[in-house]
Amino acid sequence: MTSPPASEMTGGERAQPSAVVSLSHIAKTYPGVRALRDVSLDLRRGEVHALIGENGAGKSTLIRVLSGDVQPDAGSVSIDGTPVVLASPLDARKRGIVTIFQELMIVPELSVAENIFLGNEPLAFGLYSRRETEQRTREVLRTLVRDSGIRPGQRAAELSTAQKQLVEIARALVFRASVSVRDEPTAALSEGEAVSLRRLILRLRSEGVAILFVSHRLGEVMEIADRITVLRGGEHIATLDAASISNTDELIGLMVGRPMTELFPPRNENIGEVVLRAEGLSRAGAFEDVSFTVRSGEVVGFAGLVGAGRTEAMRGLFGAEKLDSGRIFKGSVELNIRSPRDAIAAGIAYLPEDRKDQGLVLSMSGTENIGMVSLGDYCAAGVLSWRSLRNTAARAAQQLQFRGQLGAPASNASGGNQQKLVIAKWTLAGADILIFDEPTRGIDVGAKAEVYRLIHRLAGEGAAIIVVSSEIPELLNICHRIYTMSGGRVRDEIEQPDFSERRILAGAFAAHMGMGSAQPTEIGL
Amino acid sequence: MRVSDNPGRVVPELDERFTPVSFLRRHSREIGLPLIVLLMVVVFSISSDVFLSAPNFRNIGVSAAALAAVSFGQTFAILTAGLDLSVGSIVALVSIVGALVMRSHGIPAGILAALATGAAVGLVNGIVITRFKVFPFIATLAMMSVVSGLALSLSGGVAVTGVPTAFGDLAYQRILEIPVPVIMAAAVLVVAFLVLRYTRLGRRIFAVGGNEEAARLSGIEVGRIKLAAYMMSGICAAVGSIILTARVASGQPSLGATLPLESVAAVVLGGISLFGGRGSIIGVAFGVLFISILSNGLNLLNVPSYTQMMLIGAALILAVALDQGFGGGRAGRGH
Repeated sequence: MTSPPASEMTGGERAQPSAVVSLSHIAKTYPGVRALRDVSLDLRRGEVHALIGENGAGKSTLIRVLSGDVQPDAGSVSIDGTPVVLASPLDARKRGIVTIFQELMIVPELSVAENIFLGNEPLAFGLYSRRETEQRTREVLRTLVRDSGIRPGQRAAELSTAQKQLVEIARALVFRASVSVRDEPTAALSEGEAVSLRRLILRLRSEGVAILFVSHRLGEVMEIADRITVLRGGEHIATLDAASISNTDELIGLMVGRPMTELFPPRNENIGEVVLRAEGLSRAGAFEDVSFTVRSGEVVGFAGLVGAGRTEAMRGLFGAEKLDSGRIFKGSVELNIRSPRDAIAAGIAYLPEDRKDQGLVLSMSGTENIGMVSLGDYCAAGVLSWRSLRNTAARAAQQLQFRGQLGAPASNASGGNQQKLVIAKWTLAGADILIFDEPTRGIDVGAKAEVYRLIHRLAGEGAAIIVVSSEIPELLNICHRIYTMSGGRVRDEIEQPDFSERRILAGAFAAHMGMGSAQPTEIGL
Repeated sequence: MRVSDNPGRVVPELDERFTPVSFLRRHSREIGLPLIVLLMVVVFSISSDVFLSAPNFRNIGVSAAALAAVSFGQTFAILTAGLDLSVGSIVALVSIVGALVMRSHGIPAGILAALATGAAVGLVNGIVITRFKVFPFIATLAMMSVVSGLALSLSGGVAVTGVPTAFGDLAYQRILEIPVPVIMAAAVLVVAFLVLRYTRLGRRIFAVGGNEEAARLSGIEVGRIKLAAYMMSGICAAVGSIILTARVASGQPSLGATLPLESVAAVVLGGISLFGGRGSIIGVAFGVLFISILSNGLNLLNVPSYTQMMLIGAALILAVALDQGFGGGRAGRGH
C-alpha cells in the first residue's frame, strides 16, 4: 500500500510535480479492434487530469488498464517510478489506485457506513464494530461536506445519485487512495449535482490525490481540470495544460480530428396546432398537477434536477407507471392510457433515459430492435418475413445514418448508434408524439449533433417532441419552449426568445430552498 | 460487478477479418456441443462393438424422444428468463388422464385430453407467475408437488391399465425405418423452431427474456408472452408423456421424475442462457443427444445407472461453468 498522501505537500510541491502513476507506451488489442496504441500518460500528485475523446477513442480501455481490470499487450505501468503489474482491480486498489466506474458500486441493502468500509472493515477485538464504522463514516463525510444529510446507518438504497457519489468519494478517502480514477462521474447527474461533485473532486485534489476523470461535459473539463489528455481512435493526440485552452471548440476539434461546424441545427419553423395536452397529471409522492401542451412541429423541453419528477411524469403519460389522476388529450380526443400499449396505439413514443436497461434488448440484433414495436407489419398470416423486416430496418437505419452492423447484437453499437436504433424503432412504429428522456446522455459530441438534427427533422415532419434533459445548454439550443419542474411540480414555462439559464435554474431550484436531506441538491450547496 | 462491455463498442469501426480461429471463437457455443457429441459417438463406436448399429441408434432415438419433447418445451420457459420444474409432474398427470380417457373414449380423445391437460397446467403455471408474481422457480416447484399429488390421487397411486393395444404399439412402429416417437419429437422440434423464429410470439419471447423492461416499454404484453411460454412447455411435456405412456402401455403416476433435471440440463447444455433471451433450439436438440448418447454408451459399457446420474449432474455444472467463463461473465443481468 502506498503511503497516505500528506496534504501539506500540495502547496510546496506544485512547482516540481511528481508523477504518482505513469503509463508508458500502452497498447491493447481486442479481437479485431486496436483499442489503444502507444498511449502514454502520467498523473501527478494533486492534479485533476481530464481524459476526453469520442466514444471508441479508448478512454474506457485506458481506465480499465489503470484499474487492473485489463492487462495491456505492451507498455508498462509504474507507481512512484517503480514498474508494477496491476494484476487485478484488487491489486490496483491495494496500490492506492481507486477506480469509480460509471455504474456506482454501492450495495443497496448495506448501510452507508458498511458501503464505505466494504473490504476494509474496522475491527474491535477482532470483531466487526458497527459503532467504530459509523463513527469513522461520520468523520469522513464531515471532512467532505458540511452537512451531507446522510446518516451512517442509513440504507444505501435510500440515497440519491449525488449522495451515492459522495459515498464513493468517501470510500476513496478511507482507502487512502493516492490516485482516484473516475469514469464519467457526472454523466448521471443534473447540473446542480454536478456542481457539487466538482467541488468534491477539488477537495480530493487538495488532499494530494491525483484524479483522472472521463467526461463528455467539456465545460466541466475546462472548469476543473489542470491538464487534459485527448484520445482519438486509440491514439494519444495531445496532453495540454487546461490554462492554455481558450474554448471548448478547440477541444472538440482535437477529439473529432476536424473542426465542428455546428452542434445545434436550426430549429424547425413550422409549428402547427396543439397535438398533445396533459392536464393535472399526478401521482402521490412523484409529481403533482403537471399540465402542459405540445404542438405539432414543436420541440418542448423539460428542465429540472434529477428527481424533479420529469421522468416519472413522462412515464406516467406513457402508461409505463400508474397515474393517480390527470387527463391526456391528443388533438381534441381524450386518451385512456393504461399501459404503454395504449400509448403506442395513440402514436406516443417514449425513448427512455437508460437505453441499455430500458430502450434496447441488447442481446438481440439491431434489426430486431428496430422492428420491436412494428413487428406485426412484417408478418403475413402470422408468419414473420425476415426479408421484409431486414429491408425495412436497413432503410430506416440508413436514413438515420446508423453506423454499425444491424445483424450484430445491439450491445455492440456505440451510445450514439444505440440511440439511433431506438429512434428508428419508434419512427417505424408510426409515432407522432415522441418523448426523449436524456437523449444525449453518455454519447459523444459528434453523435450528439446528429441526434439534435434527427430531433429537428422529426419535428420538421410534423411530430410533436418532448425533450427531458438535465443539460441546460442543450435545452436552450434545441427547444421552442421549456417547462421547468421542481419537487414534482411544473414551476415555469418559458418561450424561446425569453430563454435564460438563470430563469431555468431558478425554476429548477424552486422546491429546494431549505428542504430536507432527501433532496439531491443539498450536497455541498 | 462489471463495467458495461466497452471494448465491444468499438467493433463497428473495424471489420473483424475472417479466419478459422476467429470463426471458431465467435461460434464456440454453436459448434462446441455438436463436436463433443460427435466425439462421443466416435469414442463409443471404438469402445463398444454394439454401439454403431441401426438397432442401437433406434434405441437411442426412442429413449431420447420423450426427453427431447419435454426439453423443447422447457426451452420456451427458460428463454423468458424463467424455468419450468413441473414438467416431470405434468408428464405423470398427463399419463394418468390420457390413459383414463383413452380407456373409455378411444385413442384420439385420449391424445386430445393429454394435450389439453398439459396446456392447462402450463396455464396455471403462467397465471401463478404473471398474476401472483411468484418467481418461476418457486411457482413451478410448488406446482410440481400439486400436480404430482393430483396424478397420484386420480390413479390411487397405481398404474392405469387397459389402454388400447394400438396405442402401446405406436411406440414400436416405424415409418421409413424411423421409430414413431422419434418422428413425434422431430415434429415438436420443427414446430418449436418455426414458432420461435417466424412468429411474433417467438420473437417476443426472446425480447421479454432479453430485457423485460424494454419489451414492456415497446408495448409488448409481457404477462401474456410468459403465459404462452409456460403453456408451450406444458403442451410439449404432454407430447413427451404420450411417448412414454405408449412405451409402457399404461398410465403411470410416477413417470418422468428425472425429467426436470434432465430437461434443464439439455437446454442449458444446448446453449440457452439461464438469464433468458439467448440461444437456439437446435442447440437443445444436441443437448438431448448428448444426454441420451452418454447414457446409452455408458449402459453398453456396463456403467451402473447411479454413476450415470452423477455424470449428468456433473456435465450440467461443467456446461454452466464453461458458459460463464467463455461468455466473459456477461451472460446477462440476474433479476
